[in-house]
Amino acid sequence: MNRQIRKMGIVLALLFSLLFLQLNNIQVLQAHKLANAPANPRVASRLYDQPRGDVSTADGVVIARSVPTHDIYHFLRQYPNGPLYADITGYFSLIYGTWGVESSYDSYLTSHIQPVRNLSDVITAGSGPDDITLTIDSVLQGEARSALGGETGAVVALDPRTGAILAMYANPTYDPNALASHNREAVMSAWKSNIANPSNPMLDRAYRRSYAPGSTFKIIDSSAVYDHDPSLATKSYPYLTALTLPDTNKKLSNYAGELCGGTLPTLLAVSCDSGFGQIGLDLGASNLVTEAESFGFNKVPPLDLPGAAASTIPAASAFARNLPGLAYSAIGQEDVQATCLGMALATAGIADHGVIMAPHVMSQIRNPQGRLVKSYAPHPWLTATSAATASAVTALMVGVVQHGTASNVAIPGIQVAAKTGTAQTSTSSGSNNWLEAFAPASNPSLVVVVVVPAQTGLPLDTTGSEIAGPIVASMFRAAIQEGRVK
Amino acid sequence: MSTVELEGEAERRPRIPKPRRRTELGLVLLADFAVVGAYVLASLGASASIPGNVAPLMVAIVGLSLLAHLATRWLAPDADPVLLPLATLLNGLGYVMITRLDHHLAGLQATWSALGIVGYVIVLVVVRSSRDLDRYRYLLALGGGLLMLMPLVPHLGQNINGARLWVRLGPISFQPVEFAKIALAIFFASYLVEKREMMATPTVRVGNRLITDPRPFGPVLLTWAVSLLIMTAERDVGFSTLVFAMFVAMLWMSTDRVLFLVLFALLLVFGAFLAAHLFPQVNERIANWINPWPHAASSGYQPVQAEYAMGTGGVAGTGLGLGHPGDVPIAYSDYIFSSFGEELGFMGTSIIVMSFALIMGSGIRIALRARSEFAKLLAAGLTVTISLQAFFIMGGVVRLLPFTGLALPFVAYGGSSLLANYVLIALLMRISDEAGG
Repeated sequence: MNRQIRKMGIVLALLFSLLFLQLNNIQVLQAHKLANAPANPRVASRLYDQPRGDVSTADGVVIARSVPTHDIYHFLRQYPNGPLYADITGYFSLIYGTWGVESSYDSYLTSHIQPVRNLSDVITAGSGPDDITLTIDSVLQGEARSALGGETGAVVALDPRTGAILAMYANPTYDPNALASHNREAVMSAWKSNIANPSNPMLDRAYRRSYAPGSTFKIIDSSAVYDHDPSLATKSYPYLTALTLPDTNKKLSNYAGELCGGTLPTLLAVSCDSGFGQIGLDLGASNLVTEAESFGFNKVPPLDLPGAAASTIPAASAFARNLPGLAYSAIGQEDVQATCLGMALATAGIADHGVIMAPHVMSQIRNPQGRLVKSYAPHPWLTATSAATASAVTALMVGVVQHGTASNVAIPGIQVAAKTGTAQTSTSSGSNNWLEAFAPASNPSLVVVVVVPAQTGLPLDTTGSEIAGPIVASMFRAAIQEGRVK
Repeated sequence: MSTVELEGEAERRPRIPKPRRRTELGLVLLADFAVVGAYVLASLGASASIPGNVAPLMVAIVGLSLLAHLATRWLAPDADPVLLPLATLLNGLGYVMITRLDHHLAGLQATWSALGIVGYVIVLVVVRSSRDLDRYRYLLALGGGLLMLMPLVPHLGQNINGARLWVRLGPISFQPVEFAKIALAIFFASYLVEKREMMATPTVRVGNRLITDPRPFGPVLLTWAVSLLIMTAERDVGFSTLVFAMFVAMLWMSTDRVLFLVLFALLLVFGAFLAAHLFPQVNERIANWINPWPHAASSGYQPVQAEYAMGTGGVAGTGLGLGHPGDVPIAYSDYIFSSFGEELGFMGTSIIVMSFALIMGSGIRIALRARSEFAKLLAAGLTVTISLQAFFIMGGVVRLLPFTGLALPFVAYGGSSLLANYVLIALLMRISDEAGG
């Protein structure tokens, strides 16, 4: 019987070897694939069982933090005042991943091994997440929301000297807390209801949605005049109610059929469409498109948030057989589209003596011991124009406030430069109401751009001055109160 | 029993320590050290603190294993030195994992472990010689049959996860089939040794050919058929297959007729086919063995999660207390092997597989050295049983085999399984001791 027992032992040993081989297969060969499979709940656990770094505004208001929980995971991401900062923080979701600052600075916010920089770190370092301080000013961000009220629209405020974004808010918005829940069903239903909402609350419309910029584009026309054909700056344009366009029997009518004309300062102050239509034709497509591109059109702004959209203008060649289109583009309509951030950057180009600084929301990253890990070094993105041109256009924009369409953003004691925009989307649905401004004109420290697009609930005959003007004015008042604008 | 033999027994129990027992003591203490270390690490991993009850726990673990060791020293001084340390290690590691998963079950498992050790000692006390077992074979066969029938008794039996394998007596639930497997192994060994000559050699003339006398197969086949029928009624596939395999292995070892192996292999395939058609949960398990991924959210959830767990563990594991073994349903019993795979990695699972391989090796060595044919076959049968039980459940977890809800001996949560396997080890120790090592 011993022979059979020995054979049985060998058979059993073979069975255990098979087990060993399969363990090699699962735990060595396939281990990486299994460990990182999206459906493996541990992938989420790795993130949700560790604290994530705080995100704070420049003035120290925490807008994203991790709190310990005792449910299926150990830490819950919370966004105090979530909807106010949703377009900046983005979300940290079990199912839908990350967005916003949560996405672009994910590697810092995720708990990681802290590098050892000096001797004391050997003891204290360990692992943990970094904390992020943003450039956002909670006062201006809050003011943007309350000034916008219930209207759909966007507000961007930035410091033209550094590109630091001080406020960036858009209506409607969403609550990132609902997406950061540990309850999968709740997360999915919040997401689905956001997606199904026709007002598209998760659009981040301050930097991802473009609208026809209307007359706010005229600062680029003006800049193009000085840069490409200075003779046009002194040319007097005829007083018209409508511009006769080449190659068509259509006419480019002035707003409300007004009669206007004259030289560049007058044209800009009253926002004379017939005059700027003709300036566009005089400049030619190549000059206009080149100028727009140097102000950031057709380029995605290097914003440190995901998904930023470019402002767009067609290629010069597209206007060769479409001169009427060129005239309309010069007044910021037809094929020209700009985001609120895009116009803020173009305005910053004028305000910062021709240089557009790269836009950013991150100011500093600090490790758990409070030591600086990284700070954003402001750097130019584009050279939009010369300092001389910028100064000339600034003077024109000051005129718009002093005796033009933007008189309602004037502030006693501080020189404000601005330009309004009222882009007719179609006769039946009203207009996009814009206003771009900066102050103080002599040494600008704040650019504010507001867009309130055509929407139900607004009268059809609104203007940028009337709708966006008061919002810009209250942003300036808040900034002055803070001492940001002196 | 002759007087000469009694004197022989007396001679083999001097009080001086035997080298084998000294080895065992060393190994038991090593296993205790590993278990207490794992317990502290699991607590550090889960809550970053040293557990408050570590001192009493250490006393309990060391005390229990020393109790078993001292009993062996006294009752079976010449027995194999590695079986007890291996059982201590597996039982201890299982306890650590169960504590980490469910504190309430851990308390119960500690009680079962203590009972298991007591059962081990009682078997060594009561069964002074393997021949005692040989004498009661029909009683044991009857007992085994009754044990298997128990879950079918109304009010007594309980359905858990589709199988009716449990008996509830007052506050205690247990799986009688764990004990039945031992009773049946003893019966098979005893009966087959007596009739093996008749079963192995053709003795009956039919026409001008000699064929094997079919009569000796009667009782064996009857027992086997009844146990299969009962387990069909209990809708359990794991234990039926285990008892079936044990029976075939013992039949082959005693008769050396390959024909039986082939015949029963065919029967097994047919049985599996039939079971898959009769029981939906068997069909489901076969589908999830071949490919669980399409059903990852429904019936395949458990195997898929187990694979994620073991893949996440990788080579070295996440560390005790640092993984999420609880994401796999029933991680404390059916899928405890995947919990080790996650937290201790390939190294941990290899340690468990190797521990069972060592138990198997010791069992085979005991069988080879056993004095009587009966002891040989019994030791081999018990070794096959515990090895296959471990192989079936570990193979089921890693999808080498269809999943069977067997308990991983010593490791998984469950009182019946712990007690029965301690009894099984005690019997092997008894046979080993008789052979003088």
